[in-house]
Amino acid sequence: MADLEYFKLSKPQKMLRGIGSFFARIPQGIVNGLKKLAQLVVSLFKGLGANIADLFTTFKNGDWKTRLSYLVMGFGSCARGQWGRGILFFLFQTVFNVYMFMPNAEFSGCYYLGKLSTLGTVETYKQGRKTVYGDNSFFILLYGVLTIFFIIAFIYTWRVNIKQNKINEQLLKSGHKLKTAKDDLDSLRDEQFHKTMLALPTLGVTVFTILPIFFMILVAFTNFDATHQPPGKLFTWVGWDNFNQLLAMDSASYGDTFRHVLLWTLIWAFFATFLNYFLGMLVAIMINKKGIKLKKMWRTILVMTIAIPQFVSLLYVSKMFAADGLVNTYLMKWGWISSPLPFWTDPVWARVTIIVINVWIGIPYLMLIATGILMNIPADLYESARIDGANAFQMYRKITLPYMLFVTGPYLLTSFTGNINNFNVIFLLSGGKPLSLDLAGGAGHTDLLITWLYKMTVNDTNYKLAAVIGILVFVVTAVINLIVYNMIPSVKNEEDFQ
Amino acid sequence: MAACGGNWIRGSGRKEKKHMASVTLEHVKKIYDKNVVAVHDFNLEIKDKEFVVFVGPSGCGKSTTLRMIAGLEDISDGILKIDDRVVNDVEPKDRDIAMVFQNYALYPHITVYENLAFSLRLRKMDKEEIHRRVIQAADILGITEYLGRKPKALSGGQRQRVAIGRAIVRNAKVFLMDEPLSNLDAKLRNQMRAEIILLRKRVNTTFVYVTHDQTEAMTLGDRIVVMKDGYIQQVGTPQEVFDTPVNLFVAGFIGSPQMNFLKAHLTKEGSGYAVELLGAKIPLNEDQNQVLAKKGFGSKDIILGVRPEHTTVLFDNTQNAIECTIDVNEMMGSELHLHLSSKNGDRIIVRLPTVDLTKEQRSSLAYGNKLYITFPAKVVHLFDPETEASLING
Amino acid sequence: MSEKNKIPEVDIVIDQEAGVIREVKPDKLRSKKGHERRVNTSIYVTLVLMSIIWLAPFVFLVFQSFRSYLTESGGMVNYLLPKQWSLDNYTWLLTDPSSDFLRWYGNTLIIALFCSVLQTFMVLSVSYALSRLRFKGRKLIMNVVLVLGMFPGFLTMIILYFLLRQLGLTQDGAVPGLILIYVASSGMGYYISKGFFDTIPKSLDESARIDGATRSQVFRLIIMPLAKPIVIYTILMAFMAPWGDYVFASYVAFGSKPNYNVAVGLYQWVNVNDYQGYFTRFCAGGVLVAVPVTVLFLALQKYYVEGVTGGAVKG
Repeated sequence: MADLEYFKLSKPQKMLRGIGSFFARIPQGIVNGLKKLAQLVVSLFKGLGANIADLFTTFKNGDWKTRLSYLVMGFGSCARGQWGRGILFFLFQTVFNVYMFMPNAEFSGCYYLGKLSTLGTVETYKQGRKTVYGDNSFFILLYGVLTIFFIIAFIYTWRVNIKQNKINEQLLKSGHKLKTAKDDLDSLRDEQFHKTMLALPTLGVTVFTILPIFFMILVAFTNFDATHQPPGKLFTWVGWDNFNQLLAMDSASYGDTFRHVLLWTLIWAFFATFLNYFLGMLVAIMINKKGIKLKKMWRTILVMTIAIPQFVSLLYVSKMFAADGLVNTYLMKWGWISSPLPFWTDPVWARVTIIVINVWIGIPYLMLIATGILMNIPADLYESARIDGANAFQMYRKITLPYMLFVTGPYLLTSFTGNINNFNVIFLLSGGKPLSLDLAGGAGHTDLLITWLYKMTVNDTNYKLAAVIGILVFVVTAVINLIVYNMIPSVKNEEDFQ
Repeated sequence: MAACGGNWIRGSGRKEKKHMASVTLEHVKKIYDKNVVAVHDFNLEIKDKEFVVFVGPSGCGKSTTLRMIAGLEDISDGILKIDDRVVNDVEPKDRDIAMVFQNYALYPHITVYENLAFSLRLRKMDKEEIHRRVIQAADILGITEYLGRKPKALSGGQRQRVAIGRAIVRNAKVFLMDEPLSNLDAKLRNQMRAEIILLRKRVNTTFVYVTHDQTEAMTLGDRIVVMKDGYIQQVGTPQEVFDTPVNLFVAGFIGSPQMNFLKAHLTKEGSGYAVELLGAKIPLNEDQNQVLAKKGFGSKDIILGVRPEHTTVLFDNTQNAIECTIDVNEMMGSELHLHLSSKNGDRIIVRLPTVDLTKEQRSSLAYGNKLYITFPAKVVHLFDPETEASLING
Repeated sequence: MSEKNKIPEVDIVIDQEAGVIREVKPDKLRSKKGHERRVNTSIYVTLVLMSIIWLAPFVFLVFQSFRSYLTESGGMVNYLLPKQWSLDNYTWLLTDPSSDFLRWYGNTLIIALFCSVLQTFMVLSVSYALSRLRFKGRKLIMNVVLVLGMFPGFLTMIILYFLLRQLGLTQDGAVPGLILIYVASSGMGYYISKGFFDTIPKSLDESARIDGATRSQVFRLIIMPLAKPIVIYTILMAFMAPWGDYVFASYVAFGSKPNYNVAVGLYQWVNVNDYQGYFTRFCAGGVLVAVPVTVLFLALQKYYVEGVTGGAVKG
């Protein structure tokens, strides 16, 4: 874009160009993001294809030990003297088989897999005074998912088993020795140290995050809600019904509510992020200015407010602005108003109040971050600007602001997506109120998608819609991340700054 | 501290095994993912106790090759042998090497003594033995009084010595040094260069040294490996590389100020050759004629290279001299570096000692004045303009 | 900036004809200093106002915590300072048998202690592995965590609640259940620690490895001693978090009052119970919670600042 004519343009023309190119880059951001996704998918398939091809070649070229390992995992390892590994593989295979094909139909993997498509057909009913338990949809779904995970793990382990056979066979052929069990244990402290470090955390994340998320994604396609609660009742697959309900374009209940809540969520996230950002930066610059004394004291005062647990601050402040709270009673006492201000009862007031209080919460953090960065801007940039004749505002615009934006660009993005999910501030301040009859599912005018999700879960036990909202939050966040990441200059123009 | 054969740090009285420490690289390549080739087909045999220097501009692959020898980078292809043992897949700690890093990499949270002792403690060596070795190394390097300090209390030069000390105590077979002098100021650098030469005499093992500074390479190395863009350009002793560079790059890289490159024409006249440029004609000597004839060169355009120190400056126009105008006159003390331009606009640098100049000669060396240069055939280097290869060497 | 380095505040005029450089003190000089003084004053005023506004709610909180629920009103009134300063609220919180406050406090303290240790262990392991070790799935793991982080955290609670109930870790077992939930996925919060580890030069690792250390030894002997600031930061963060968690704690301990944490308990008082009676006691509880946490935070402030600015600067 080294268009020499550009230098001739006047200031406003350059600004217009800048704005224009910003918006022009959005579609490019989308396109790049989609391209990357497509590349990802393609490379996944390629990887898969390569793996399958490799399975065939290994079988063709392998010796009898390798070939038998296709059936009996661990055979090749044992046959080649790696008893430790061999036994582990075999044990895993046995456990898997036992689980899948257990004779007692109640708990086998196949049982659950079978029921997965219907999520249970036999209802629980009462025979006289006895309750005869039928299918439990929840457990079917849960264990069905677990079984699928287990199957995937098994396939993966089986694949590793084959690969090891291939590698070991070739190693032996070329005259090398195979790793003994002691070697394996030793390498866990060295080459494989990353496995040692990551084992527990990965387990934790898999069981407590990946599994539940996967499960909830599936729930979004069922009708698991207050009227379909196991063990009393069954629930079953309903396909895209829930999504249709939530994304309906007509102005009836859920679809409309969803759009309202989504809009407010985005507006809130925008203000919460950028207002705090610029104001925090301003405060940091003010405190950091030459000639201001007691810098440490000002910073400590503000930083103290971070220390106090947010729920104490938020709950208290929420009460401060209540109809009978401190603010209203004193304003009335002093005669400034005659009736309480509707901080929490009027939708617009509530939204503004929340944003303002969030500024109060957020400025100390941003001030800290901004201060840290400000201190790192080389002083000679400012000195040379002063010699060139710049005033304070110009220096801010031309040096401070671009530097800050560059360094904190990614932070802004994470902050924005974090605010989309900022449960505490909304919930503790306003509880999502004021409620409205126009909004379905118990949503209020200050509810974010995530607080709405919470209400649906806790108050209505409407798990299916909660799951759908969760997925939609993910989609919104992912889309924003994808687009912006492919747009921000900070990733591209690093050298400009150094 | 005299060196006794193979052992240079005495053990607890017993003589240590004499070991040979050759390093051999056969067709070694380094390819990063996305097919970026950092090192192409590197072949080199480093003999036991040889001091080899890898030299070249940034990004030429010298550090990458060193790190492959160290085991800090995987070898994409080829074989690396230390002492005739293939070590491609051997962990660095088992290769019996020691390394000095550009930024010293001293452990900041422990004292100098502990820094030196670190590797020995890991090997569970006897405390007395550790102490003996550390004291000896500190002695050799003159850092005994700093043993109780932490690295941040030391100057750059002192830290560097500790880094070298850490390598000495190990009694390793191969000493690797990755641009150890680059972080020092010019004066310190000269000093340390001399100290490394002394160190080499005391320690007497195989050294592989990486630098981008050709002066370091020339003064320190038994042999120099000149690299560019991942390829070895030339391997030879400093004298060989200086006198007989095999291509334009090596000729220009080695020697300061840089060799002058001028467009010229090689003419074949009967059984002999001559070089024509800028109105002068220089017939080549016997040896040159022989080589050129054997290689079957006819008349062609060439690039002629001649070093500034090999040109003769004349104040009057004599036959076969090249007329130039003076652009810049740099006073270096005992000599002048004159930047000249020829009639064609070629830039030529010449070195002129000042001690024998008369006053008129000195005052005639002003901007814009004319000067004449000649040079004998034996200092002339001939390069092919397209391949950049030397016509005579290599 | 020392006096010597200040650029002299005079105007310089170059008189080319006379070949002379003259110093001139323009009239503008005086107003420039005045301008600066005015700017600074307005900054000071702003800062003082800000300090008042920021600290005010807490000061009020403390005031209202001294307004006895017995003798005066325990709910919302239209004056700020108590007519009579009394410690009744505090006494009730700490001694009255119908107050579960001490239990809640204890619960939260236990959770915080366990979390600070276990979470630090998890987070540091992950950040170290991702920062300094090179292995095949590294980029994949980072991307997966990024994607997982885009799902709202609460979503997982629904099923985890059932899972925990099977194991008896809800209601009466809420405390160990909460610890498990907090710790299990804590590895995902590696970002800031990783940023810190990235700043340690890799040549230290390499030098140690050449010296003969296994990667495990490098971790223990070289890197960990240098990681003190980030370890303290992580412990601090892990310790402070449980004190303010309402969402997970309320869900897991649902209905079992003695097993609430302070956040849930105090929330109940303000929003669910008759807060007209409990408000001042909430204030007192808030003070009791805020004071130790704040003191701890201020003592370790340095590390917090390092962590926040380090992580954000890296981006």
